[in-house]
Amino acid sequence: MQVSFLSPTARGADGRASSRKDDQDMDLDFSDLLGQHQTPKGSKDFKDGSIHVVTPGETITSDTQFMRGHGTYVEQEKLVSSVAGVVERVNKLISVKALNTRYSGEIGDVVVGRITEVTQKRWKVDVNGRQDAILMLSSINLPGGVQRRKQESDELQMRTFFMEGDLVVAELQAFFHDGAYSLHTRSLKYGKLRNGSFISVAPALVQRCKSHFHSLSMGVDVILGLNGYIWVSAYVPQNLDEIDTEQVYSNKNKEDISAEDRERIARVSNCILALAQELMFINDTVITFAYEASLQYPLKDLIKQEVKAAIANEAAASVDNLRG
Amino acid sequence: MPTNLISPAERDYILKGVEANVRADGRQRGDYREVSIETGIISQTSGSARVKIAGGTDMLVSVRAEIGPVLVDSETGDGADKGQIICSVECVPSASQGWEGRGADDVNNELSQIMARILSSGNAMVDSTSTDASSPSATSKPSSTPSSKGGAAGIDLSKLCIIPGRLCWILYIDALILDYGGNIIDALLMGTRAAIFDTQIPKTQLQEFGDGQFDFELQDDTEDMVTIEGRENMPICVTLNKIGARYIVDASPLEELVTEARLTIAVNKYGQVCGLQKSQEGCMEPSLLLEMIQSGKTMGQALIKQLDAKIEAEAATDLSMRMQGKPPQKYGFFAQ
Repeated sequence: MQVSFLSPTARGADGRASSRKDDQDMDLDFSDLLGQHQTPKGSKDFKDGSIHVVTPGETITSDTQFMRGHGTYVEQEKLVSSVAGVVERVNKLISVKALNTRYSGEIGDVVVGRITEVTQKRWKVDVNGRQDAILMLSSINLPGGVQRRKQESDELQMRTFFMEGDLVVAELQAFFHDGAYSLHTRSLKYGKLRNGSFISVAPALVQRCKSHFHSLSMGVDVILGLNGYIWVSAYVPQNLDEIDTEQVYSNKNKEDISAEDRERIARVSNCILALAQELMFINDTVITFAYEASLQYPLKDLIKQEVKAAIANEAAASVDNLRG
Repeated sequence: MPTNLISPAERDYILKGVEANVRADGRQRGDYREVSIETGIISQTSGSARVKIAGGTDMLVSVRAEIGPVLVDSETGDGADKGQIICSVECVPSASQGWEGRGADDVNNELSQIMARILSSGNAMVDSTSTDASSPSATSKPSSTPSSKGGAAGIDLSKLCIIPGRLCWILYIDALILDYGGNIIDALLMGTRAAIFDTQIPKTQLQEFGDGQFDFELQDDTEDMVTIEGRENMPICVTLNKIGARYIVDASPLEELVTEARLTIAVNKYGQVCGLQKSQEGCMEPSLLLEMIQSGKTMGQALIKQLDAKIEAEAATDLSMRMQGKPPQKYGFFAQ
């Protein structure tokens, strides 16, 4: 049995920290750290090096002419940061962009979420946001006809549709007055997730695209939730006209997921995590590139940090090639 | 994300994946994730280690050596010439949603007790064959009193005694669990071993005043520190999670939710079983239990060997840095 015991490396190292041999290794280079976290690869911002890093409670400026933006508050006429991150200024407006945030949604977003609670006429759904999103009983497709009105009996058997722990893919429909998200699954694209595994990445890494449902060429389906929750599953041929509405709420995985299917799903999952580790944007093209790059490694090596970095770098090179 | 929630479809996928020997992250049943480990990062302690398992689990283990009164068993009079080891584990509430408020109390108690049981059991030298033959129903080893050998999980407690009947070294092993990504117990014991290996305590010199009065002197010289005697005999843990008819090592959080029964096997470097702890509601066949103990032993032995190689390599690097008059290079909390 082989277990790799590693020494830690500096955050956002890119191999640099481990190769540095100078005596001042202990004073870590913050611009390195933040440049990595702030801007996914390929972004051209912050190249001038004038990064102002703040921690919560740190005074940004005592100049009263500035306005407070996101991530800041005013205390004793001073502008103070409420998060750890990088100061951004647009004219007189100062805001702090946090290094790591929860998902903040927009209407129309495709999200993957997990049911946390079943209450009166609604489900609460964890979508990696500041509070749980809400899925109303009236915002789902009831079995037995898309246009059926909801009845009292439906209310009593809500758990037959979605139970605590179930994973769903849904669309963000509206905001409640307290800022909570209202979701809906009123399309056959949306609903319960089966036949695969769940991974989670930073929400900022998933870009808004035309489609977040992808059937990749290697026979793996991927749903990229804009909240950073991603569902990787075995390929299921979809014909939206012929879906049995009873099947939408089934908990049964399909019978014939072979070991090869599982390996492909695991490989895709690890490729996505590799891209996330190297803070690269995640979309179907990059995933495919990463998958191709990963084929030279055996599956069980893909959990290694070093291999992940290599795969992500190769995928980044492929993307650059594509751009020309 | 909310822990302790999993959908029936995921449960089925993981169950069948374990059966097919392809786990959700591509590992096979017996594969560990990468472990990163760094020792000597907290200067206020006698020894410390930080252990991270790629994928989440992150913890800090510290060993603090203090001088205190010996603990004498009022019935047997045992312990007058022994030091003590006191374990405490604390989970940071922000690490997992289930640990908010009072939620972590149970976990803290459970982990502290498992650790204390493994480390304070005097039976580190239990003959491995006798454990195999023991009845499968004796699933958890009761915390036993230190045996006549005076060993606590291999550590020679009598060497920690300063003035017999009065003063001894007390080793406080404190662990802080900073993040949860499954398989906490194994990481905890790896960290403890690394921290104990990092620990150095000052030499003491006993002075006798004649009329049965003793006092001692601490030697301040940092060159004159001693390591903990018997540390290489300390056990580590291998936790096997039974899922379906099979078992896996190093479970991820979702896999832990699917686990029916869990067996933690404490093993020392000779492959001797130093403790067993069975948790969760599920059950296992006697034949499977024996198989699990057997593979726990071989895995644990291999694990200790590789862990020791890592600890020694780090100690050697630190020493060579010191020889050059430079501080050892530590990443500590800036580590990835």
